[in-house]
Amino acid sequence: MAMSVRRTLVGVYRGTCNSLKTVEASVEVRHPLPLVLPARTKKRYFIPPAVGIKGKQQEDPEARARAAGVVIQQQYMERPINIACTAGVFDPYIPPEGDARLSTLSKEGLKQRTEQIRQSAASQLAIRKIKEHDSLFSTKTFAEQAQEIFIEAHRALTQFNKEKLHSLVTERCYPEMTRGNRHKTIRWSFVESLEPPRVVHARCPDMVTKGNLYGQVTVRLHSKQTLAIYDRFGRLMLGSEEQPKDVLEYLIIERHLINPYGRWRLHGKIVPSWAPAKDPVIKTILIPGPQLKPWQEYDTLNYEVPKPAAVQWYK
Amino acid sequence: MAAAGAGSGFSFVRSLSGLFRSSRLAAPPQRLSWLHTGSSLSSKSWERKNLKVFPPQQPEEPRRPAEIHHCRRQIKYSKDKMWYLAKMIRGMSIDEAVAQLEFNDKKGAKIMKEVLLEAQEMAVKTHNVEYKSNLHVAESFSSKGKYLKRIRYHGRGMFGIMDRVYCHYFVKLVEGPPPRTEQKTGLDQAKEYVQMLKDRTVIHSL
Repeated sequence: MAMSVRRTLVGVYRGTCNSLKTVEASVEVRHPLPLVLPARTKKRYFIPPAVGIKGKQQEDPEARARAAGVVIQQQYMERPINIACTAGVFDPYIPPEGDARLSTLSKEGLKQRTEQIRQSAASQLAIRKIKEHDSLFSTKTFAEQAQEIFIEAHRALTQFNKEKLHSLVTERCYPEMTRGNRHKTIRWSFVESLEPPRVVHARCPDMVTKGNLYGQVTVRLHSKQTLAIYDRFGRLMLGSEEQPKDVLEYLIIERHLINPYGRWRLHGKIVPSWAPAKDPVIKTILIPGPQLKPWQEYDTLNYEVPKPAAVQWYK
Repeated sequence: MAAAGAGSGFSFVRSLSGLFRSSRLAAPPQRLSWLHTGSSLSSKSWERKNLKVFPPQQPEEPRRPAEIHHCRRQIKYSKDKMWYLAKMIRGMSIDEAVAQLEFNDKKGAKIMKEVLLEAQEMAVKTHNVEYKSNLHVAESFSSKGKYLKRIRYHGRGMFGIMDRVYCHYFVKLVEGPPPRTEQKTGLDQAKEYVQMLKDRTVIHSL
């Protein structure tokens, strides 16, 4: 095949080139190929980030370190928590039925008035324990002190003075007092005290470890107060500012006895089961009706709105 | 010239410091403030509008209507497409708005309906609104969220940056029936036009 190509080439050159003496030489001489310049592709001024990078992060630096033999000390995230108050009320005081409802001249009334804390042995024991740790404690002066704490705490609540409130009220009572009140205006005033406050109950529970003593003292307070709560827009939600109401309350004051810097703080309130219903909110509230099955119909006449059971609860 | 420049500069500085000193003694007026009190890097001011507390009203004052601000951030939808729905429900009562959105075929309608129902529940629970139907949409608008950027590959090594769009949606519910806009008839408009033509005066005339 090469020979035939040569012959054809020779014929071509004989025809084209007239005065070519070196015909054979020209066939053997290699003509230079036309100049081939490498053509550049379009220069990419921006290379987009590679698509495969997304799946690359599966390697665990921890696993690699462990394989390499590098030992890292375990860092325990510990934060010491100081518990300064108990979680609830231990052995709550059950106020006698009809307290402050009966007139003091009747037999029942006299009995209630003369009922003293001496009757309860457990309370006496608790008071003795409290006196061990806090020598200045006395039931006579403590009741006045409790009333002062109560008044100061509620004043701080109206001002929403967080620091003062924390110093007058335990951590358990604080959220109960302030939940939902952040964006409301509360106007409260203590008009007068109808009866001198009395210590009615005392307990000294210990939490977690033996010897970690907390003292809880219940004080009975009968007073006149005014309360008005305004919502975020300044509209009256509850109560009235001019009309005072008689209030009978059982306050629980607590102190961490072991702690030398512990203070007597408001821990909660007891609401007896026979307490009269509170005033309704100035608003109509939707009470969800009964859950009906598809074949049932709602009978307006036979349906009674369920009322909550009258149970003592402490707040 | 340099000395003069420096002198004027010094006097300028002195006057400035004088201004600062004198006005620090007196309380600066609210309108001028040298502090940039606008938006910070991540300002969620719409949510903070719900935390404003008004002082208690006097009994003779008219009852202030409750205002509830609610929003949803980073909705996977276009702000322009959301705008159409937001514009539709402006000024409607809440029941009407919810009904319209329920039967609208757009993707944003479902999300918007959820936001409105959330806001209604919030109003009744936390903002002391008495009747849940007694609300109307006072403000409703959408805005641009943070977009994710992706690459859209074209031919010949060209590319475009593709945006994965997100939007925010804001709504303000106010207690009370929706405000009635006066419907102007054609006759009224014509009368107004004629009156406007009659009120024209020619100045510098005899």
